[in-house]
Amino acid sequence: MTSYIFRYFNVAGFGETSRLLLAASKADWSDEKPEWPQEKPNQPFGRLPVLVEQSADGSPDFVLSESATIERYIARTYGFLPMDPGEAAQQEQLRDRLNDVVIAFFTPNLVDASAREAKNAEFVGLLDRLFSVHSELLRKNGNNGHLFGTELSYADIATYAFLRMFLVNPMESLKQSPQLVKSKLTPELVKLAVTAEADPLLEAYVSKRGKVADVVQV
Amino acid sequence: MTADNTTPTYVLRYFDIIGLAETSRMLLTAAKAEWTEEHPEWPQEKPNQPFGHLPVLVEKSGAEDEEDFVLSESGSIERYLARKFNFVPTDNKQMARHEQLRDQHLDAIIAFFAQLSLVDEAKKEKREDFDAMLDKVIEIHTSLIRKNDDCGYLFGEELTFADMSAYAFYKLLVMYAVTFEADVAPFVKDKITPEVLHLLRTVESDPLLHEHVEKKGSFVAHILTE
Repeated sequence: MTSYIFRYFNVAGFGETSRLLLAASKADWSDEKPEWPQEKPNQPFGRLPVLVEQSADGSPDFVLSESATIERYIARTYGFLPMDPGEAAQQEQLRDRLNDVVIAFFTPNLVDASAREAKNAEFVGLLDRLFSVHSELLRKNGNNGHLFGTELSYADIATYAFLRMFLVNPMESLKQSPQLVKSKLTPELVKLAVTAEADPLLEAYVSKRGKVADVVQV
Repeated sequence: MTADNTTPTYVLRYFDIIGLAETSRMLLTAAKAEWTEEHPEWPQEKPNQPFGHLPVLVEKSGAEDEEDFVLSESGSIERYLARKFNFVPTDNKQMARHEQLRDQHLDAIIAFFAQLSLVDEAKKEKREDFDAMLDKVIEIHTSLIRKNDDCGYLFGEELTFADMSAYAFYKLLVMYAVTFEADVAPFVKDKITPEVLHLLRTVESDPLLHEHVEKKGSFVAHILTE
């Protein structure tokens, strides 16, 4: 049977969506937190996360880098992303956008103090737009807690991971953002989170690692 | 072909720069798709884009009652075109290899832009990140070219998504990033290995990209002069 090692730091960061996908796939998988930076030269691109797929028949490991590529690979393998390019693209663009917003959050740390306020305002603007687009999609899909169709999808998991990152045991470096994100949640997004957490595919994972439902009013 | 013309046509909406659209331009041309480019008034057109930013791809089916398919996010646009027009393998693992390269190119580009507005120690540190990522990308390209019998493509014997993404990567740094920081052009040019140059030549001379090179000019010629 195929098994996976997900090599990353001990944070949600750019790894949570992959972990959720692995959990939902019911595949045999484990987290690996490498010594850093000692293990840097041993990674294909010198960075994390890395996914190592080990097959049962002894053929060489398949090693993949880049968080989004890892996610899409797992999602396609286990049917969380459709094979139709148009349908897949609609989900993938949402994930790319979520990622842009996460990066925008960290950008104020990269610019000097005079530009920081503008960058923070930019993050808030992006967050508003993001939540508005997501909520609209959820409404158009009948407000069943899914962005597309009626089952847990890649887009659902990526969105849920974004919410988890800010709301469930958030990192110190996120500072005031958890309150900000919580204050901007729409009923549709709350329903997405609750639906994901109630899904049998994710129940075991969230019962061990905390729930969005415990943090917000449901 | 039916009388009502249901071949899709495409509009690529972006600024008139290399930026993050070059790979998509190449894919559309290599696919022999019917496409045009639109340069919207900015920021006036910002609220009219699905996510308030560019690039955006609009696919019009040609059928009267069908809505346009609108896609945002350069990576998603590229992967959509690459899959639809068979510039990536359908095998999941092989497809992932193309995608991880593309993501790696983008990370290096982001790293370059992230250090632009910094100064002193912070800039030095971030610039070193970019340098390391650039070195890694070049190392990977060089290794893949060699392993592929030095035929000039990264994978297989035909032009693929990975090749176009790599070409656009070097072109962006040498011809676009240079407008932000002049030293990046000679810096990158000096690091280009013979194998990478072979890749760039091979991509540029591929018949599928003849029209693209005619329109945009030869990047290889640009590298070799000076």
